[in-house]
Amino acid sequence: MRTVLLASLRTHLRRYVAAAVAVVVGVAFVVVVGVLTAGARAGLMDGFGAPYRGADHVVVADPGVRPPRGPSCCPDTLDVAAAIALVDRLGDDASGLGRVLLPMQVGDERGSTTVGPIAASEELRWQELTAGRFPAGDGEAVVHVWDATALDIAVGDRIRVGADATELAVVGLVNSPSTESQASVYVAWAQYLHWREHPLFHIGKIAVRGDVGPVPEGAVARTAEEHVTEGLAGLSNDTDAYALMGVLFAAVALVVAGLVVANTFAILFAQRMRDFALLRCVGATRRQVLGSVRREALAVGALASLIGVPVGGGLGYGLIALVNAVAPTTPMGVPGLPVPWLLAGFAVGTLVTAVASWLPTRGVVRVSPLAALRPESAVDARTATGRSRLALAASGLVVGTVLLGVAIARRDTMVMVAGGAAFFGGVLLLGPVVVPRMVRVAGALLGPAGRLATENAVRNPRRTATTTAALLIGVTLTTAVLTGLATYGAALDETTNRNHPVDVALGSTAAPLPADLLDQVRGTTGVERAIAVHGAVARVDGLAHPIPVVSAPDAAHVARDGGGFARVEPGTIRLDLGSFRDLGIEPGDRVAVRVGDRRVELRVISLSGWGNAGLVAPEDLARLVDTPEPRAVWVRTAPDADPLRLVDDLTGLAAGAGAGVEDQLQARAVQQRELDVLTWSVLGLLGVSVAIALVGIGNTLGLSVLERAREHAMLRALGLTRRQLRRMLAAEAALMAVVATLLGTTIGVAFAWVTHETLIKQALTRATLQIPWPSLGAVVLVAALAGVLASVVPARRAARVTPAAGLTHD
Amino acid sequence: MTSTARRATREALAVSARDLTKTYGRGDAQVHALRGIDLDLVRGRFTAIMGPSGSGKSTLMHCLAGLDQASGGTVTVAGTELGSLDDDALTVFRREHVGFVFQAFNLLPMLTALQNILLPLELGGRRVDEETRERAHALAETLGVADRLDHRPAELSGGQQQRVAIARALVTGPDLLFADEPTGNLDSATSAEVLEHLRRSARELGRTVVMVTHDRDAAAYADDVVTMRDGRIA
Ligand SMILES: Nc1ncnc2c1ncn2[C@@H]1O[C@H](COP(=O)(O)OP(=O)(O)OP(=O)(O)O)[C@@H](O)[C@H]1O
Ligand SMILES: [Mg+2]
Repeated sequence: MRTVLLASLRTHLRRYVAAAVAVVVGVAFVVVVGVLTAGARAGLMDGFGAPYRGADHVVVADPGVRPPRGPSCCPDTLDVAAAIALVDRLGDDASGLGRVLLPMQVGDERGSTTVGPIAASEELRWQELTAGRFPAGDGEAVVHVWDATALDIAVGDRIRVGADATELAVVGLVNSPSTESQASVYVAWAQYLHWREHPLFHIGKIAVRGDVGPVPEGAVARTAEEHVTEGLAGLSNDTDAYALMGVLFAAVALVVAGLVVANTFAILFAQRMRDFALLRCVGATRRQVLGSVRREALAVGALASLIGVPVGGGLGYGLIALVNAVAPTTPMGVPGLPVPWLLAGFAVGTLVTAVASWLPTRGVVRVSPLAALRPESAVDARTATGRSRLALAASGLVVGTVLLGVAIARRDTMVMVAGGAAFFGGVLLLGPVVVPRMVRVAGALLGPAGRLATENAVRNPRRTATTTAALLIGVTLTTAVLTGLATYGAALDETTNRNHPVDVALGSTAAPLPADLLDQVRGTTGVERAIAVHGAVARVDGLAHPIPVVSAPDAAHVARDGGGFARVEPGTIRLDLGSFRDLGIEPGDRVAVRVGDRRVELRVISLSGWGNAGLVAPEDLARLVDTPEPRAVWVRTAPDADPLRLVDDLTGLAAGAGAGVEDQLQARAVQQRELDVLTWSVLGLLGVSVAIALVGIGNTLGLSVLERAREHAMLRALGLTRRQLRRMLAAEAALMAVVATLLGTTIGVAFAWVTHETLIKQALTRATLQIPWPSLGAVVLVAALAGVLASVVPARRAARVTPAAGLTHD
Repeated sequence: MTSTARRATREALAVSARDLTKTYGRGDAQVHALRGIDLDLVRGRFTAIMGPSGSGKSTLMHCLAGLDQASGGTVTVAGTELGSLDDDALTVFRREHVGFVFQAFNLLPMLTALQNILLPLELGGRRVDEETRERAHALAETLGVADRLDHRPAELSGGQQQRVAIARALVTGPDLLFADEPTGNLDSATSAEVLEHLRRSARELGRTVVMVTHDRDAAAYADDVVTMRDGRIA
């Protein structure tokens, strides 16, 4: 049988190419995930450990001490006074770590920046100098190279930092690894302490060279090694979670690859039934035939996996280089070869091929030696759909539906996953019955021209079903993700609109706003509408500083929630408690609100989103002041506004009027960007599976074309032009792709609905299912086009053969 | 010969081949399947091509029918020189002027007999109207397969399949009908029926029929017999 095995491999290797490609892609996916995980971990290690490299001990807040001693912004950091005292005592042997977010002005550009301390001794400095020198004392700073590039700062420039616009000379540029202490601007310790009264100022840790001596109360000292190991464990948990996600997507890709492999073997073995029968005729036992084809499958799987490992490794290292070049802010190290991942990739690829070929090879032994003697038409690839298969499919659908119902009722994620799997399994099993019928319906739309294509596509139900199943999986997941994220995004938007109804608020507690400010704001690019809000500056019990108390009956003009937040019940005051620090009041309290000698008692209601002002009903405002003055301008931005520029412009206007600006735009933009990144990442990861499935369509078509060479020759003899033949095959591929996509879209939307009912509604109560029709339409269109594309190679090959050659070939 | 006489001869000729050669492969493996064939086939006649296996019968038929390009020489069918046509034009030419019956695998397995018969019309983009349907039924009636039109090829006997194939070859009303060993797989009674139908196509419908066969009894149905030996007409 060795000769038979080798000859088979030699003769048929080319026909395994597509299946091998599917396995290569799947294996490469696994290896890429491995390399990227290792790279991310290496990057984190480089970054996280850096500040402690020259240190022996690290002083941190004792997590066991309650209440925590840190400042109110960051309670779990060190007690500021104690930390400063410790650094003073240890001098050059200590390096305080922390940072503070401050306003910054570079030339005319205003913005904000993070400022952190730099160690006094060189051994404890973890920033790496790339130009100039380190700061020698007060009034000097070094800037991180990324920020220097972004803001066009060079050595010798001056920047203004902090509320008092402290002027700092830039004496150097540094590169610093990504850690929790990373900042954009670094200054000497004494300069850092200059902002110690700022509410966000904190000292997280102190890296110490040598012995710490007495540790301040509420803090503990650990060895640097201990600290780094422990911190890394936490960080790797994060990377492990990402790796797990990657592995899940790789698993989907491998399942799809398995389907393609199974189909390839099923088709090839069906084509070779006569060979097997002949082997049996000349005396090969069942075991011998079976062993030969199984070894053939194993050889294909091992070979493909062997190619997939270096391909994946190359891609992974390439991606790390790309990420480092494109996004230097993302920490990615260049890891050593992640050998376990490489081995796992190889093993999984070989295993998937072996398992996928198991069923088709079993069919091989059923062939009777007599089949070789019968005329060819008797070797019919058509298989009846077994009763047991139908029964299994039906139970899968029923059990799946019930479980999904239970999952919705009990809001249970695990039950939902199980139900989804059972239901989808049922659909896949039902494929040979359902898919050909759908192909017929879709084919009818093509008219008589598509008749042959339709007939070809349905003549072998199981083959068609497996081919479409591969695509079905990818499309279902893609649709579910698109719909789920659209729903989640809409719900998030709705919540944001409710919590932050006003995009930008300009306000002042000092003088009333000048009359022309409103017009200036309205004239600013990116402002859609703006209103002036009237009120008076009032003292509120429990608040340290006076605040504007206003009434906004026309808030609906600008508010994203329709103005609901500003419709205040008489007798209450609504406060955006998020905008105040050090609050002495809580929702439900009754507080006295005073303007001059007038006074009303109001109940506090907490809402958020319009900034540092109290909202009252017009009649309550009338009891406090006779002629309310303009105290705030509320802005609704245009959808295409550039948030950074707009906020800059408005900050300029506000500064001129002695007012401040509070905006939600950047938070909104970040939220939108995060959602976009998530959507595209998931689509990209699923794209691999979809690509494999499309290879599968081309594969099925290519193998079927080999089988139908004689028919095609006859059709060509009867007058089918080359172009018609190519179109017929393209239509066949497109029919399979479109049916898989339509079915996948339907199931995907249904799954998204279930997920919405089970999960999203729980998290965001007002979420309603959003079906992203344009995106789903694009998915169907792209799938159809890709199907046509997949047919190009087989169709060209089929059309090249002259009719005479096709007729004489056996 | 006067010019009118020459034109009359030319019009009477359905197929004319001049110095036709066909070689397969190159170098040592080169096979001269046709070595300079001159052949004229007269319109409305039933010609049988005979000869031993490997003598080039099928190759000759493929070249005459425009299924394959000759290596040298010319083939003129119904006044058109086939060498001057590109693949698309040749395909359309076949669709309009030529019908085929092969030894086996004549029918598409997934279409019914009637669909198979109507296939050439459909490929030509012609709408299948009542009239063509009538014609197909009439042909099926003549060929004795009218009661099998809704069956698929797998449900038909070999003889029935061949008769469906003849009906399909005739449905477009072609000038020429080529048959490559149409009775190779049939018993003598069924063979006789099929051959009778081919002869009637020539006699009654005026088609030019060319049949390749090994069988002397089959050749006896033909008006003319051309014998080939080693790529030449003997
Ligand atoms: N595609 C091909 N490549 C190479 N040689 C070929 C090819 N087709 C035919 N031949 C050779 O051309 C010669 C003529 O073949 P052809 O098929 O025309 O013979 P035939 O007379 O039809 O034989 P048979 O009666 O067995 O069908 C043979 O020697 C054959 O080996
Ligand atoms: Mg022959």
